[in-house]
Amino acid sequence: MSEENTIKDGADLSRREFLGTVTAGVAAAGVAAACVPFVSSMNPSSDVLAKATTEIDLSVIAPGEEKTFPWQGKPVFVVHRTPEEIAAMAASKGGKDPEPDAKRVQKPEWLVVIGICTHLGCVPNKTESGWLCPCHGSVYDNSGRIISGPAPRNLDLPPYHFVAENKILIGKA
Amino acid sequence: MSNNKLFGLIFCLMFSARSAQADEAQLKRGAHVAVEVCNTCHSLKYLKYSDFLKLGFSKAEVDAMRGTKGMADPLISQMAPADELAMFSTVPPDLSLMAKARDGGANYIYAMITGFYTDAKGQTANHVFPGIKMPDVFMIAQADAAGRQGIEQKARDVSAFLEWASDPQAEERKTLGRYVIGYFVFLTVLLYFLKKKIWKRLD
Amino acid sequence: MNKIIAWVDQRFPLTFFIKHELTDYPTPRNLSYWWGFGFLAGFVLVIQIVTGIFLAMHYKPDSNLAFDSVQHIMREVNYGWLIRYLHSTGASAFFAVIYTHMARTLYYGSYRRPRELLWWTGQGLLLLMMATAFMGYLLPWGQMSYWGATVITNLFKATPVYGDQIVTWLRGGFAVDDPTLTRFFSLHYLFPFLIFAAVAIHLVALHTVRSSNPSGINLADKDNIPFHPYFTIKDLFGLGIFMIVYLLIVFFKPDLFIDAANNIPANPMQTPADIVPEWYFLPFYAILRSVPDLAGGVVAMAISVLIFAAMPYLDRSRVTGGARYRPIYRAMFYIFVIDIFVLGYVGAHPPSLQIRTIGEVSTTIYFLTFLLLPFVSRWEEKFVLARGLPPAVEAMARKEIAEAEGNV
Repeated sequence: MSEENTIKDGADLSRREFLGTVTAGVAAAGVAAACVPFVSSMNPSSDVLAKATTEIDLSVIAPGEEKTFPWQGKPVFVVHRTPEEIAAMAASKGGKDPEPDAKRVQKPEWLVVIGICTHLGCVPNKTESGWLCPCHGSVYDNSGRIISGPAPRNLDLPPYHFVAENKILIGKA
Repeated sequence: MSNNKLFGLIFCLMFSARSAQADEAQLKRGAHVAVEVCNTCHSLKYLKYSDFLKLGFSKAEVDAMRGTKGMADPLISQMAPADELAMFSTVPPDLSLMAKARDGGANYIYAMITGFYTDAKGQTANHVFPGIKMPDVFMIAQADAAGRQGIEQKARDVSAFLEWASDPQAEERKTLGRYVIGYFVFLTVLLYFLKKKIWKRLD
Repeated sequence: MNKIIAWVDQRFPLTFFIKHELTDYPTPRNLSYWWGFGFLAGFVLVIQIVTGIFLAMHYKPDSNLAFDSVQHIMREVNYGWLIRYLHSTGASAFFAVIYTHMARTLYYGSYRRPRELLWWTGQGLLLLMMATAFMGYLLPWGQMSYWGATVITNLFKATPVYGDQIVTWLRGGFAVDDPTLTRFFSLHYLFPFLIFAAVAIHLVALHTVRSSNPSGINLADKDNIPFHPYFTIKDLFGLGIFMIVYLLIVFFKPDLFIDAANNIPANPMQTPADIVPEWYFLPFYAILRSVPDLAGGVVAMAISVLIFAAMPYLDRSRVTGGARYRPIYRAMFYIFVIDIFVLGYVGAHPPSLQIRTIGEVSTTIYFLTFLLLPFVSRWEEKFVLARGLPPAVEAMARKEIAEAEGNV
């Protein structure tokens, strides 16, 4: 009699444990899924994502001029380079972070770089031959390459592409 | 309430297909009416032109609708508020939430648009909103039978569109709801059997 | 893992606390599902706090930006609509759960000696909840938000001598405006954490006197069972049922508790046709309007909430178990509940002559229930003792009567 009970209890026990484990598993999956909307809500909302790209009209920049545009809250330097400047940059390899000028532009007369010093994040000022960062003295050439000073890398390149002869869309390659 | 009735109620709430959900074609027609007629005087400022892409319009179609405005720009009224105040002695209300701001929602809007008539004095009045300052933009008060049918269709379309505009995520919400509640029904059934099993120990 | 727990246990009563207050905690085995609503209330509090914190990441407590920020949450924030609807439905769910919890307490007499303090901490929690809900309702800055806040802050004018100054002080201005909104946001964020602390105190009081049970008699120790796993699973099952109902509303009828007028931005120059509070305030709103005098109405409304605290002393019967063995108390309970629904109906409608009359009658019934209880409860005690009670119940009652009379 007691043996029967034990066997039945044993079967019940493992069935109960199985049910308990399955229920706990289903509940845990639910808790994990419930976290998704909350974590997702902290990601950029659709209006912020819409600002992920900025269209820029290049015709407002005369040859030899540079203009700064905001993109995703950061400054972007757009330089309309003269043929002399292009030649000078093509001839040089840069400084401590060597990179051919041709790789940094899509059309040689248009240089598009993110205007944030790769040292500690200040915005460099335009000079004749490139940029000078006021914070710690990093010097960049007219290709945005680091020439001297503490910055480790050339000025970063944003993804962009030409949507028309004189228009670029920054934010998408 | 018996278990069967309870499941039936839950099922009905979750799967009632004709819950004022309009098809894509109607919403697109309604969008055109809203942009071409209503937007002249009313803003729909919580809608952006890019939202029309969600209705199935192509980028080219949206570009045609927005003219010189940007994709991310809100739909503000084409008339300036000051001019509207002068012309109508009131600024026409924003329509983004109108389907929620009135009891009866889309049905109210439909009734109001089609509710214009010419009264005994020859003035235009409205059955649903006496003293309304909005003109009879579709001229339904003077329409003949055939004309009236066309206007009623436009009114249906734009009411459906405004209902969408007040709650663009309605479909997404209901779809997700079916999965979430389905999950909880499943989990609660498991919990029920687990509870019964655990409490059997007491006997 | 066990080593870590042992290390902690040497320095902090972790295992002891969990065993003593949770897993091994003796609970009457006959607790019905009506005893699960306290747990549900705690769960809804957590839902409100979590959804509220995530809403606050996107909400702007500025009268020029608030309404727009709510639309930003609804239309542009990922799952913003879901978090918002969880929060707005959660407020109603919270009151539905708490009112049921209170009804259980009243029906079964769980407010009686020695649970008076437990009942009063609950009262405090109810007041904190009502304040939180009232302030939260202003935040969307819709027409009903604005005008509801205007009407209720106006009530403080009834305060003698300093009435006007108090109203101005509350609002931070001469009308409900931006300063009011900002401070309501600040306090609405704070109060739920005060509620959380008050819940802890409420639970300490509960664990001191232990749960009552449907029979009203303190069960023998052998009839107590450990809270875990019996009541953990029972509460979780109850939670599952609750979540289905709650989520059906969130996903399929989310605007059920959002007044149409609140989809219109607040306009200080134009009052909506009917100013109506949320459903959970309607009975008290009806009582407020039933007294023609402003100060009288405010006092009546305040008393209608606070009078519950007097229950342990208003109920003078020594028959235990609440309504179970007391047919007259049971009848009064049901009449009271129906009366509250009638008051809710009255509060929801504009005060026509008919509505006002019904309101005055229902308000009278409301207060009479409390005022007659001391006399009715004693009379009923004699009545049921004469009629006959289960032996254990009768013995308890006679013992208590003897003690009370012996002390006189």
